[in-house]
Amino acid sequence: MSTIKAGNIKKGIYILYKNLPHYVVKTQFVSPGKGSAFTRVKMRDMRNGSNLEFNFKSHDNVEELDVETKEMQFLYHDGNEIVFMDPRSYEQMTVPRSILDDKALMLTSDIKVYLTVYEEAVIGVVLPPKVRMTVSDAQDAISGDRQTAGKKPVTMESGLIVQAPLFIKTGDTLLIDTETADYVSRVND
Amino acid sequence: MKKNWQKIKETPSLAERFLMREKVIDAVRLFFKGQAFHEVETPLLASCPGAEPYLNLFETSLELPDGQKKQAYLLTSPEYSMKKLLAAGLGNIFQICKTFRNQESLGGKHNPEFTILEFYRANANYLDVMNDFEAMMAFICQALSLNAKKVVYQGCTFDLTSPYLKFSVAELFEKYLHLNADQLLNLEFLRQKAQSLGYDLSGLESLSADLAWEELYNQLFLNEIESKLAAFNKPVIVYDYPTPQAALARKKASDPRFAERFEVYLAGMELGNAFGELIDPKEQKKRLEADMLLRKELGKKDHKIDQDFLTALEFGLPESSGMAVGIDRLIMLFADVSNIDQTLFFPASEAFLD
Repeated sequence: MSTIKAGNIKKGIYILYKNLPHYVVKTQFVSPGKGSAFTRVKMRDMRNGSNLEFNFKSHDNVEELDVETKEMQFLYHDGNEIVFMDPRSYEQMTVPRSILDDKALMLTSDIKVYLTVYEEAVIGVVLPPKVRMTVSDAQDAISGDRQTAGKKPVTMESGLIVQAPLFIKTGDTLLIDTETADYVSRVND
Repeated sequence: MKKNWQKIKETPSLAERFLMREKVIDAVRLFFKGQAFHEVETPLLASCPGAEPYLNLFETSLELPDGQKKQAYLLTSPEYSMKKLLAAGLGNIFQICKTFRNQESLGGKHNPEFTILEFYRANANYLDVMNDFEAMMAFICQALSLNAKKVVYQGCTFDLTSPYLKFSVAELFEKYLHLNADQLLNLEFLRQKAQSLGYDLSGLESLSADLAWEELYNQLFLNEIESKLAAFNKPVIVYDYPTPQAALARKKASDPRFAERFEVYLAGMELGNAFGELIDPKEQKKRLEADMLLRKELGKKDHKIDQDFLTALEFGLPESSGMAVGIDRLIMLFADVSNIDQTLFFPASEAFLD
């Protein structure tokens, strides 16, 4: 743990706020017009995934958390939990599904992710920017539907539904952007 | 990353969003012309910046043909020049211009150069200026064919019909923090309140009592009050600020602990700031000197006090009230975008960030 000035809080770091670990989503400089400057920090409570905002005085002391990053492999969903394994030591770790939220649908078999670990508890999961996934269900497109402008919904192996071009068929492998959950391209193996 | 001009080229309908700027500025200009205000231009490049102690300046130098160099600044506000014009007897005046602030975030709600409307009404008090602002907003709605004076911003509908909601700073501290006017002006009460809310107070030890009070006041206002104003579906006018929070405003005759200043908030954005203008040259000189001391305490470079401005006050200003309005914020509101970069053809973030 190291102490930093609130003015130096950066997006993407982990800080201790009211004694709990928070992920910094966004920071902004705030000048109230008449008066000293503040750093407005939008952060995510790592226990329950809720977002909150606080205005720190720029010279406030804030604890930056030294988090450890571990490369892990996705194993399986277990109710409200997700199980990962260290591919070298075979050590397993369980992560509450709430930490991944919608991103849980990006997990495909054997995908490698980075777990952010603080005091032996997983507080974050970093996915690769793009993942390969197989289409489990793609209906034939209904021609003449102008609303969808050349796209149709297809269901991926994980249950994720993406808007894909009309030529995509069941069994195709697609590249999906994990940030936006958008179709990127079809992969020709 | 694609630049805004490339995005407009690809999606021509986007141009409409950016041209909201033109529509809003046209409407503002037409409104003030219709009220018989004179439009004026004053310099943006100045030898005396006359900025608030907390604002950071763009500094440059003016070079004369003989090689002499003069320190120069880009202004954070055209306020001093415009007050000199009030002293000159021009009457009601307005200006739409760029102003500059350094060391602020790029994007979000800020751009280092931004457009403001500054207007002054002579022989008027701050209540008159509140009415001017409400009438101007109604006029913009009309120009944009928002006949019901309702605007949808980021999924919420806001009602811009008059009168706006109005709360004094003391009322808000009472409402949200249960502190009365005496307590909110008292460092000890603010310290206890901040402590009970779990704030870090360690940085305050090294500060003077005035500065410590100001820091706590601002932090409590931002975290516990301003954030709650976003929930109202009408513009909120916050008025009567503690005097230390209003360096250029006149003190209230009925209670000199507070000054005639108001701000307008809507949807979590600060749209404008207004004063019943301080016209007493002695009081003004005292406050400017106090600001200079504060600049030093904050470790910022000091600069000259604008003597010409004080001379203008000595010549005499009519009782006036004035307001600065963030034009970019109005454009964000009417264009329904959350980032100022989506309203500027060339946001600074495009040019200066990789």
